[in-house]
Amino acid sequence: MSTILNYTLYLALLVHTGLLAVVLWRVWFGENVIDRLTGAELLSTLTLAILVLLALVERDSMFIDVALGLAAVGFIGIIALAKYLADEQMY
Amino acid sequence: MEFVLQLIAILAVALGTFLSTLGVLGYIRLPDVYTRLHAVGKVGVFGVVGLLVGAVVWTPLGVGKGIVLIAFLLLAGPVTAHSLASAAYRIGIVPVGLIRDDLTRDLEAQPALSASQTSQPPDPAA
Repeated sequence: MSTILNYTLYLALLVHTGLLAVVLWRVWFGENVIDRLTGAELLSTLTLAILVLLALVERDSMFIDVALGLAAVGFIGIIALAKYLADEQMY
Repeated sequence: MEFVLQLIAILAVALGTFLSTLGVLGYIRLPDVYTRLHAVGKVGVFGVVGLLVGAVVWTPLGVGKGIVLIAFLLLAGPVTAHSLASAAYRIGIVPVGLIRDDLTRDLEAQPALSASQTSQPPDPAA
């Protein structure tokens, strides 16, 4: 059972890395600014997923701490950029 | 007990990966900023939370941190999607196949509701 879990985790890591590459390509050739910002949020979320998968592979909960910091920073950044685009000012 | 926890972790990781793939497929294929935001929200709320359920049951000492991160994601995902959709509407991106627009009517009836009304961009001709 443990080997099946390891194979599932390595397959999930491979799939998420492929999804990161596809989303990066889509952000590079995006249509408008909100489309690219959505893609940047998706990149942040997929990096979060890779960190959680690393925590599962290594059986080490330190990676979940890193994922928590990344989630907070990405949330604040996306909110600030969306407000800047909508109102042409930060505050 | 070990067997059951491993089985739950395998199922949660497989379901989360499948839903993330569906969300990215929607981000590539859907025609519009607003529908793409709908697909991207699924990755943050269902895909990563599925992986985190696996991490909560299988990673040692990961229970508290995992539950905190799940709660944060469930709060932050809808807020992010709402702010991005609001910004897209206010900079003038029209949804595909729009047949009725109540928000523009309300903003014209009550200009105080519009946030960008108070901060007009500087006139380049002046």
